[in-house]
Amino acid sequence: MAGLELLSDQGYRLDGRKATELRKLQARMGVFTQADGSAYLEQGNTKALAVVYGPHEMRGSRSRTLHDRAVINCQYSMATFSTAERKRRPHGDRKSTEMSLHLKQTFEAAVMTQLYPRSQIDIYVKVRVGLTLHLVRGIIAEIDFFVIVHKHVSIVFQQILQSDGGNYSVCVNAATLAVIDAGIPMRDYVCACTVGFVDETPLADLCYAEENGGVSSLALALLPRGGQIALLQMDARLHQDHLETLIEAAMTACKGVSKVLDEVVRQHLQEASVLTGE
Amino acid sequence: MIKTERVLHLKSCVGRKLRVVREHYLRERVPCCSSLCQADCVNDGKLLPGDLTHYVVPDVAVVVDYLEILEFRELQGIIFTQTACQALQSKNRRYYKRLQTLVKDPRHDCVLFANEFQKYSYCPREKGESQEKWQTRCVYSAAVWYYNHLAGMMNIVMITEDPEAVDQFSSLTSGVYVISVQDYLQSFWSDLQAAHELFSSISQAQQETEGDDGEKEFPEHLPAEVLEAGIKSERYIQGTLNVNKHRAQNEAFVRPKNFSTKSTDLTWDVLVYGRKNRNRAVHGDEVVVELLPKNEWRGRDTALTDGDEKTGEDNESTPLPTGRIVGILQRNWRDYVVTFPTRDGIQSQSRNSQRILTIPWDQRIPKIRISTQQAEALQDHRVVVRIDSWESTSFYPNGHSVRVLGRAGELETEVQTILLENCIHILPFSDAQLREMPVNSLEKPWTVDPSEVAERRDLRDSRLVFSIDPRGCEDVDDTLSVRKLPNRRLELGVHIADVTHFVKEGSLTDLEARSRATTYYLADRRYDMLPAILSADLCSLLGGADRYAMSVLWELDAESLEVQEVWYGRTLIRSSYQLHYELAQALLNGEQVEVAELANLGPQEKGSKLAQLTEALEMLTHVARHLRAKRDRGGALELEGVEVGAQLDEERNITALVPRQPLEVHETVAECMIYANHWVARKIQEAFPNQALLRRHPPPQQELFNQLVDTAKAKGFTIDTRSNKALAASLDRAVDPQDPLVNRLFRMMATTAMSQALYFSTGAHPQDQYYHYGLALDRYTHFTSPIRRYADIVVHRLLTAALHMQSGVVSGKAPASNKEVEEMAHHVNSKNRAAQAAQMRSTALFQCLFFRERDPQTDPCCVADAVVYSIRDNGVLVFIPEYGARGPVYLKNKEGLVVVAGQDGSCDWQGGTVRKYPDRITTTSSCGTSTFKLFDHITVRISVHSSTCHADRLNLEVISNKPHHSAKSQQPSPQGRSQLVKEVVRQNEEALAQEKTARRPKLSKEEREFRQSKTPSLYSILEEIRELALMDLERASRLPATTA
Repeated sequence: MAGLELLSDQGYRLDGRKATELRKLQARMGVFTQADGSAYLEQGNTKALAVVYGPHEMRGSRSRTLHDRAVINCQYSMATFSTAERKRRPHGDRKSTEMSLHLKQTFEAAVMTQLYPRSQIDIYVKVRVGLTLHLVRGIIAEIDFFVIVHKHVSIVFQQILQSDGGNYSVCVNAATLAVIDAGIPMRDYVCACTVGFVDETPLADLCYAEENGGVSSLALALLPRGGQIALLQMDARLHQDHLETLIEAAMTACKGVSKVLDEVVRQHLQEASVLTGE
Repeated sequence: MIKTERVLHLKSCVGRKLRVVREHYLRERVPCCSSLCQADCVNDGKLLPGDLTHYVVPDVAVVVDYLEILEFRELQGIIFTQTACQALQSKNRRYYKRLQTLVKDPRHDCVLFANEFQKYSYCPREKGESQEKWQTRCVYSAAVWYYNHLAGMMNIVMITEDPEAVDQFSSLTSGVYVISVQDYLQSFWSDLQAAHELFSSISQAQQETEGDDGEKEFPEHLPAEVLEAGIKSERYIQGTLNVNKHRAQNEAFVRPKNFSTKSTDLTWDVLVYGRKNRNRAVHGDEVVVELLPKNEWRGRDTALTDGDEKTGEDNESTPLPTGRIVGILQRNWRDYVVTFPTRDGIQSQSRNSQRILTIPWDQRIPKIRISTQQAEALQDHRVVVRIDSWESTSFYPNGHSVRVLGRAGELETEVQTILLENCIHILPFSDAQLREMPVNSLEKPWTVDPSEVAERRDLRDSRLVFSIDPRGCEDVDDTLSVRKLPNRRLELGVHIADVTHFVKEGSLTDLEARSRATTYYLADRRYDMLPAILSADLCSLLGGADRYAMSVLWELDAESLEVQEVWYGRTLIRSSYQLHYELAQALLNGEQVEVAELANLGPQEKGSKLAQLTEALEMLTHVARHLRAKRDRGGALELEGVEVGAQLDEERNITALVPRQPLEVHETVAECMIYANHWVARKIQEAFPNQALLRRHPPPQQELFNQLVDTAKAKGFTIDTRSNKALAASLDRAVDPQDPLVNRLFRMMATTAMSQALYFSTGAHPQDQYYHYGLALDRYTHFTSPIRRYADIVVHRLLTAALHMQSGVVSGKAPASNKEVEEMAHHVNSKNRAAQAAQMRSTALFQCLFFRERDPQTDPCCVADAVVYSIRDNGVLVFIPEYGARGPVYLKNKEGLVVVAGQDGSCDWQGGTVRKYPDRITTTSSCGTSTFKLFDHITVRISVHSSTCHADRLNLEVISNKPHHSAKSQQPSPQGRSQLVKEVVRQNEEALAQEKTARRPKLSKEEREFRQSKTPSLYSILEEIRELALMDLERASRLPATTA
């Protein structure tokens, strides 16, 4: 009942990591052909798929056009099979609306929107994946189809396929790769990471069990090179004395994430240039 | 980043079966914690020594069932696997906590190996493999890994209870032996008899539980989720079970955990009546109760009983909320001392199973059934047992014996019993701990380190430092100094032994001191917190020796005595005089006395030195009076503790019982210490607003004062309990000029109504709760006795860290966090409580020993004067000032006879009735009516009610309703000269008339401030005389202060 031991006396967490260690992070860019940019990212068991369309002309209501920059539109959704309990997650519920808003704010800070005035960057959140698909490849096929149907709406489209904690940060990381894949200029990578606070020790990159284990957690999105914080979010109670150490830990973790993302991008570039070079 | 690998984990959660995929990261480098390690593991913390013959890896089942055997310190080189720990955690959280402390304890040779995170020792569970098999395989693979990791230099023994595993694995790898626990104990530890006994006792207990089957005696407990939901919806109440000591069979109370529940009728404890409703909960367990419907509520019995069953009690008070226990959240079973019944008791039970019902020493604990072969040999012995389980089919809990203490009634057994029952485990200091100590012998005298001299402020020549302690005190931890400064200021200094200089944080001595938390004073012996070399020598601020100290120096304005400046820091001092209280008081009174330090000087020099010392003492007294008056204005309380000192002659025999003489100098010293504590508390609280260790005294609950208020009303006084100031003032007014005891009794009752003062961490409580009610200070801590209290050591460290912070020096280690400090505070609080309880019990024990050897009919010592202070249904509670004892006196016995007083006051038993009124009780019989009023003096005869299973008790019997004839001379009301002097000065200060009837012990903690060394070892004398069967000792002190 009460209290899994989140951090053992030997300094191990539930899954065998130490306090500062991140989960295994794997990513692939350019998974869709139809989209302008796309990326698939796994952080531990949390898997996310991000798709970017645009920039393109404003669609829908033209009144929202900004004459000096582009509008970014984000949409966040969760697959029904993404957690241990299967349940329908209709879009527009409060959780995903909030998440969408956070993503939007994050990317408004990072994407150089002023380069594309008057273009519309709609960010819709669309959730409905009805099929249970275990293979990533299969999911991609399904989503491809889905995307074609709804093509007229989305610019950034992303989806949590399996959730094992740290949804927000995984979304951000996947979307960053997708935006890069789309060739939209950004100030820097946006790297996000959650940190929790247990026994006066900050734990980097929480997994699902830790998030639900009564840890006060904090999500932080960082532009690592300049060290600017794009978003900082926290709902739990925490003594203000600890906040600084927690942010410090989160920033270190984000920098770790950025290294991995950078590697992925470089590798993708290498592959792409080899292909186009032929 | 470390290379990781993901593995699937299957897990089913509560409710539905779910398939959850968990990540699992493996790594190559997991510390092995062995000093033989060849692979440069990063080992910090405990290491297994390399000079053992083998390491032991216990299997999961062994850890779960036989952890107690593995707790023997003789067993070395134990490697607990993570697999086993996790299994233990899910099965038995209490034992899991014990395992954790075991692994942390540096005195035990055992480590925890995270085998499931090691790449090569981890084995994934195969399809269809049972959990037990998989666990055994994991443990085995960890054992193999150890063998390979240490390059075969150490043999590994895996002990298991699974015979299949023995067959399967024993010949798989050479150097890794797989044997059963029994074989292991026999082949490796054949001489460790205690372990063998424990093993057989546990395994027998286990067989018993397996075979248990029968009718349900109790309803089953509800599952944990239901309980949790019920608590949240306020259908159930969570709390700690408290069994009534006097009616252990039937009455128990549950104190709700959080008073914040919205239902307002739950301000009082919930009564749990009867065995069935208690549903297998044992005293101290954390339980969940459900309230019964209102028509089933009952009142508590107010009649006096012996703890025997009483049926058909019709004299009940107003109904209390009554409930039944539906579940138990946390068992709080500890080690219990039980007594085996005598032979005839055994025979009545079934003879072949050898299951025996043993009777715990603590009345609140139910009888425990244990199975043993040694029942014959153990009858009338006291034995330590542990409870294993309590099935709903069984009327009594099952347990197993751990170790034998000795025959009941013997002094050593009884003292050990007291220690154990209060959870005090003291082993002598180990060699490793003593090796850490500095040496001070004749050949190698300890000297002051020059580098320390440079760092410390040298006060050796500039101040006149002296100490005032009880006569014959060894551990002097506080000294004082006072002097006039040129700029119309006074400088007051309190210098405390610098224990933290010698006891480094994290050292073995520190750990030991921390686990002891305080020095334990029993009536006949004491258990020091620090080794003698420190407590009696190097840390003790002895006269004429250079010593390190932590000092607080105040500069006070000479006129107004307001604080102008405070200085804290480490110093070097040399105490010039080691005074005792009587001597200091005599100097103050201007009497001609001999000061030992000045004996060798010429008369001229002696006179001037003496004048200097006397002047300092006077100055100190002046300051202390002022401080006291200031605190009185704030509402400081003066409470009564009964204290009787034993006077000893040269051969250390007690010749008389004297109430401790209250001297003003006691108060002077106490005041200075309180002042130092207060200022240190301020300092550390300001430096560490969230992690300072302070001491608070919460205001008492008003309803606890009811008895005091009612009693006072009967005597015509009103007691105002709204604030501490009002209480102090009304207690001062409540004086009966004819009987000084009345005021003492009021103060005593006020003391029992008080809550306990507690240590706490400032981060854990809001600031308005820091208040110390008894001392009327907004912040308080303990700083002045680091030799005998661990809290003071913590405070010293905090103060040092605060000073470092102030001067900008980066100290090596960050001070403990709020959580650690709070944990420490809890630990020290509980140990202090245990120490106090043990102290009280042991004085009670000696009281009983004293009276046991006397014939109550003939010995004049056994007849004493007593004062009635509370009225009950069938008797009265009395206080015996001569012995400081309290107890019940029955006016109606079990045969229904009542006490009736004759013309001359002598009483005898006759048939009749008893009637109770708020302020008196009357007995009526054919011969007439007699009345016992509150505060009547009566004469009682004291005898001992002995029992083999429980502690002996004093039995009081009324023999006359007139005061005892010799009682007058006994009254401790010395309104001596010093008292009068003080009186006048005080009135000048603030016109707060204070009447002292005895020395003021605020709380028993403060009271101990001055009673450090009980040098005379009563124990040795008692032992000798016991052999001669000639008890010729006088011993009396306080009886347990709490009744009911």
